Amino acid sequence: MSPRVWWKVAALFLLALALAQGEVDPREEAKRQKQLLLETAGILPTELIVEQGKELFNRKGPSGKTMAECDFGLGKGVLEGAAARLPRYFLDTGKVEDLDGRILTCMTRVQGFRPDQIRRQEVVAVAFYIASFSTGKPIQVRLLFPQERELYTLGEKLFYARSGARDIGCATCHVTYVGRRAGVLPYADVLGRDKSWTHWPAYRYSNDQIWTMQDRIRACYGNIGHPQPNLYSLPILALELFMAYQNNGAVVEEWPAFVR
Amino acid sequence: MKLKKLFPILLATPLVVALAQSYFTPSELEAIKTGGKAYAEVFLNQRPDQALCSFHRNRLPADLLPQFLEEQRALIKYPASGKLMGDWKKGGAIFNNLQKANCFSCHFGSPVHLGGDVGPSLEKYGLKRGQSEAIQRYTYEVIYNAWAYFPCTVMYRFGALGGLTPEEIADVVAYLLDPESEFNTKPAVGSK
Ligand code: HEC
Ligand code: HEC
Repeated sequence: MSPRVWWKVAALFLLALALAQGEVDPREEAKRQKQLLLETAGILPTELIVEQGKELFNRKGPSGKTMAECDFGLGKGVLEGAAARLPRYFLDTGKVEDLDGRILTCMTRVQGFRPDQIRRQEVVAVAFYIASFSTGKPIQVRLLFPQERELYTLGEKLFYARSGARDIGCATCHVTYVGRRAGVLPYADVLGRDKSWTHWPAYRYSNDQIWTMQDRIRACYGNIGHPQPNLYSLPILALELFMAYQNNGAVVEEWPAFVR
Repeated sequence: MKLKKLFPILLATPLVVALAQSYFTPSELEAIKTGGKAYAEVFLNQRPDQALCSFHRNRLPADLLPQFLEEQRALIKYPASGKLMGDWKKGGAIFNNLQKANCFSCHFGSPVHLGGDVGPSLEKYGLKRGQSEAIQRYTYEVIYNAWAYFPCTVMYRFGALGGLTPEEIADVVAYLLDPESEFNTKPAVGSK
């Protein structure tokens, strides 16, 4: 069996075990699962994806350039700590960009890919790779440019907004009902104690999925029947900037993270 | 316009419209449109009462409360039959369906699914509260429009926003209240 198949089998087995044992603290449980997976499979899914991302990063695009020619905020090819400072305004595009969006910019403007040639799974794998250079770094997001401030304000408003046929709002779950549960996981304190910005991008072992914060936000809308914002759209970016700024100073324990 | 002339107009305008016409500015709505048509429409059509709760971050100031509650009450409609308790078996199917009403996800007490703790426990609700006219009405109205009792709460406004019909709500009321209902005769999943 290939390592990838191996850890899938192992993951499913461990998950069944955890479910049979009943309620446990999800964060502690994720740590335990990770350790067990490492012992059984010898490698973590996060490490495999980072490896894939590295290959994609060093692959030449139609222009003959690799992603090392791109500036992720700290200068051309500098990855150390770059992800911990995103989203931010970029002078070359005149836009605020997060990690996902900046990878798209790199692949289209620098590497010469057409937007329709870019697969989401590749963007996520590269995000895993770049994020891995920010483990141990504090989140440092600023609101310097007017574009950053405008998006922050929109993000804050979206976070507290009630909308749709079920009066959905991020704050109702993640501020008012922190710690309560309407399913397996308790609602995280995403603006405070849980420092949720530092938990993504992540591998979700319960679903064998690789997600960035963009996917996490879309799932929160979708789970309760609210239309989802498109990937790479401004409302997602606005919510990200707001949450990242609220988590400024929080140290990234490990990127990519390993979550339930 | 002078303030004197404006005053009667303000009085005649529903509170929610007068105070929070739109929560998002036109340029913010333009940005939201990049999220796609279906997503944007939800915000372009944000209801004035939703805008008010958004603006006050779910905690309405005391002086706005009486009129807000009155306006929410005015949204409540009743079954044509006038009966607030319907068929508890049909109500159970609604209560325990994740897509349909999802009541169990937030409330403990279902004999079918393990309940959550976002809302208060409803365990043996009918045995504890009885079936008086007042309790039937309260239960029906909370389900129809929770904001008429708990302004800006997380519980969906099942009747007011069209998730359930008045008859379906009456069925759910029966599921909670009827002493014969399995909600009251069987133990809740997870009860000690
Ligand atoms: C109905 C309740 C609900 C709503 C509304 C909701 N979420 Fe969530 N959210 C959850 C649940 C459940 C999870 C998974 C458990 C957890 O980690 O909180 C989650 C997880 C998250 C996480 C990851 C938390 C972590 O520490 O890893 C973030 C970030 C998040 N949500 C952001 C949002 C945003 C932004 C919105 C508004 C667009 C939103 N949520 C709306 C229920 C909700
Ligand atoms: C998203 C979570 C959620 C869902 C879904 C939900 N509720 Fe609630 N419910 C609440 C909360 C929270 C309260 C308490 C109101 C408050 O304090 O804001 C409540 C209150 C109630 C009450 C009043 C309880 C009392 O002790 O007076 C009843 C009855 C009730 N809900 C029934 C239902 C029924 C029936 C459904 C499904 C049709 C349902 N709820 C769905 C969260 C929810």
